[in-house]
Amino acid sequence: MKVRILRQSGPYGKPYWQTFNYDGDSNASVAAILDNINYSDDIVDSEGNPTDRISWECSCLQGMCGACAMVINGVPRLACDTFAKDLKGDVITIEPLKKFPVISDLVVDRGIIQENLKKVDAHIGEYHQEEERDHELEYQIGRCLKCGLCLEACPNYVKGNNFFGPLFANDSYFVASRSRDNGDQIKKDYKKHFAKGCSKSLACTKVCPMNIPTLASMAKMNRGF
Amino acid sequence: MSKVLIIGSGISGLTCAISCASRGAHVILVSPFPSERAQSVLAAGGINAVLNTGDGDSIEQHIRDTLKGGCDIAGEKAVRGLCTAAPDIVRWLESLGTVFSRDKDGEIGRRAFGGQSYPRTHYAGTATGKQIVTALVMEARRYEGLGLIERRFWTDFYGGLIKDGTCYGAMLYSEATRTIEAVTADAVVIATGGQNALFGKTTGSTQCDGYTAGKLFTQGVDLKNLEFIQYHPTAIETDQKKMLISEAARGEGGRLYYEEDGKRVYFMEDLYGPGGNLMPRDVVSRCIHEAGRQVYLDVTFLGREKILDRIPEIYELCLKYRNLDITREPIPVVPSVHFFMGGIAVDLHHRTCIRNLYAIGECASMYHGANRLGGNSLLAAVYSGKVAAYDIKDTKTGQPDWSDLIKEENDKLIQKRNSSSRFPVMYVRGMLADTVNSTLGIVRDKATLENGITDIDYYLGIAGKINYDRSELEYYNYSLEGILTLAKAVLISAGSRCESRGAHLRRDFPERSDSLSKATIISYDNGKFTTRLSGEDEYEG
Ligand SMILES: Cc1cc2nc3c(=O)[nH]c(=O)nc-3n(C[C@H](O)[C@H](O)[C@H](O)COP(=O)(O)OP(=O)(O)OC[C@H]3O[C@@H](n4cnc5c(N)ncnc54)[C@H](O)[C@@H]3O)c2cc1C
Repeated sequence: MKVRILRQSGPYGKPYWQTFNYDGDSNASVAAILDNINYSDDIVDSEGNPTDRISWECSCLQGMCGACAMVINGVPRLACDTFAKDLKGDVITIEPLKKFPVISDLVVDRGIIQENLKKVDAHIGEYHQEEERDHELEYQIGRCLKCGLCLEACPNYVKGNNFFGPLFANDSYFVASRSRDNGDQIKKDYKKHFAKGCSKSLACTKVCPMNIPTLASMAKMNRGF
Repeated sequence: MSKVLIIGSGISGLTCAISCASRGAHVILVSPFPSERAQSVLAAGGINAVLNTGDGDSIEQHIRDTLKGGCDIAGEKAVRGLCTAAPDIVRWLESLGTVFSRDKDGEIGRRAFGGQSYPRTHYAGTATGKQIVTALVMEARRYEGLGLIERRFWTDFYGGLIKDGTCYGAMLYSEATRTIEAVTADAVVIATGGQNALFGKTTGSTQCDGYTAGKLFTQGVDLKNLEFIQYHPTAIETDQKKMLISEAARGEGGRLYYEEDGKRVYFMEDLYGPGGNLMPRDVVSRCIHEAGRQVYLDVTFLGREKILDRIPEIYELCLKYRNLDITREPIPVVPSVHFFMGGIAVDLHHRTCIRNLYAIGECASMYHGANRLGGNSLLAAVYSGKVAAYDIKDTKTGQPDWSDLIKEENDKLIQKRNSSSRFPVMYVRGMLADTVNSTLGIVRDKATLENGITDIDYYLGIAGKINYDRSELEYYNYSLEGILTLAKAVLISAGSRCESRGAHLRRDFPERSDSLSKATIISYDNGKFTTRLSGEDEYEG
């Protein structure tokens, strides 16, 4: 099997493609394949040329932390949660997320996620003790990895503009339903930074590794619940 | 206003940051990656607290269970503080937005966990740690908005700014600028989690490597009880890690067995009766070790419907990572390193032996004695963060001039970096993991521990001489020596405790010894490692 990777040696480096051979377990996850290429022996590309190890980010290695988000065969996914056997063809193509600046190879800077949430000061503040709310939806939103896959897939999300993307719709509902003093503000921010910009492609819901029902959050927020 | 530097942004670091900021301090919260990537998000089972005394449970009972679970070497005062604060901590977490599960009476859901007299482990579905992190991140953001918490990512701990027994801040390494910088503060709080990298594959995160504890040890910080390492009895092995198969599988009725002469031997039930599969973690791990062959966990007889309803996450995990359908096949399980009771020695206020330097969460050794009860570590992470924050005062200590030191350290980095060396630092880490796994297994003995120390001395010998592997993150390179030093300290501590207690089992000393009902303290001076026993009053009381 061949693994084609879009590489970049640093933030200002020029991106280039490099191909590697992989002949390990075909049930392996893409994360395991990257480790295998990096550490089975000295790393060489498919032509046998020595090269630098491939940088990528990981932490839990079991789909619970969102570190290893990347674009695999054109689809934004978590590497530890994507398996060779489920991918078509005998070449796996791996690229860094394109909507974030590259730090090195497959490692990108997703700091904008935190910055945007900070801009609107998304927090609960005074807690609203109310049992009538949608507990299950809140629980699902609480699982958001802030991995950025939804932003990568969203046709409306462009770095630096006013539209904060699907994860913000979810966090908006989370705050609005749980906060006594910050709910009205977040509803306004939702309109400004989400509702106006969303064209409802729903691409986000297809790539979310946690299957968060973003549509349900949007419905609640749009209705003003 | 005091300035507090917190290293690590898992549950303990976040809690400490929030608590310091709520008291008006200015906090710099440092971690290479956001909190969503910290090991804390993996905690599934729950957090312990006695919220409800209706069934006869009490805070006193929580204290007794914790001390007994810890095999009588945790300090009673410390444990009393922890268990007494627990109910308020759970309510506080809920008030910040943690989505706890609810039982049919609308109370926070709770379940029974091993080693506890009553069900007091409160949970948020199958994602307790994650839900807590989500809530804490939001609360921290509130103080970010107020300018009281400043978060720094892509930044790693390099070393303490320590002089004559006082800590003045830390040296931080930025992966973006590839330089070391001095960040001064009135207090430094270490919240960097466990020591997984010593073992390579564990149930936890690759970000917990023990470097910070190892480096600070060489700078004069005492470490404590390093020999107590909790093995979880049931994990599945994959290429990259050991994934936890939660106690819930056995709680639902799952049975452990091995095969002998074509027959199944349900060894836990043979040894301990019908409840045998749910014995405490150290007992089950030891029995699996003694079985000396592949052990399986069978849940097939529960039926597909019940499995999908009660333990869907285990079903999915096995299917995904092992291609195994647990409704039809037994699960091959192995014990795995899961939690570190040992770490940085701290007193009741989470102060280390260096003035103005604190340690909290899993990197600190406190409360759990020789064996942690499930659900007590999330509690300890939150509690310790609060305790440290409460103790931090505006010290206004004058600062020594650090510019020469910083220049010297940066020069060292540049010198090590400017080479075409391809010496693969990750292979040394791999060799270390082999050594540690073969010497610090579930059962240890003097001879293997001594051999392990010889091996590590060899790795340490080369680590100081080799140049950096430029195709790795610089952090992996410079952290190697600290990690190796910590590993050596763990092996020496394990060798010094000549008894079997809790998670520390010695083939050559199978009994518990009353005279050793104390903590092991290890300290470092110019390459020399010294261990001693310390009574409860020194650190925990
Ligand atoms: C699979 C699993 C399940 C668990 N389940 C439970 C449970 O149900 N109940 C329970 O009570 N406990 C459980 N635990 C244990 C519990 O999760 C941990 O003890 C706790 O979360 C530790 O929190 P922490 O804040 O101390 O550290 P962590 O969450 O590990 O955070 C450490 C932080 O330090 C940072 N860091 C590390 N090194 C450096 C460095 N050199 N420089 C800068 N930053 C650094 C990391 O990036 C991270 O931000 C479980 C553990 C695992 C692995």
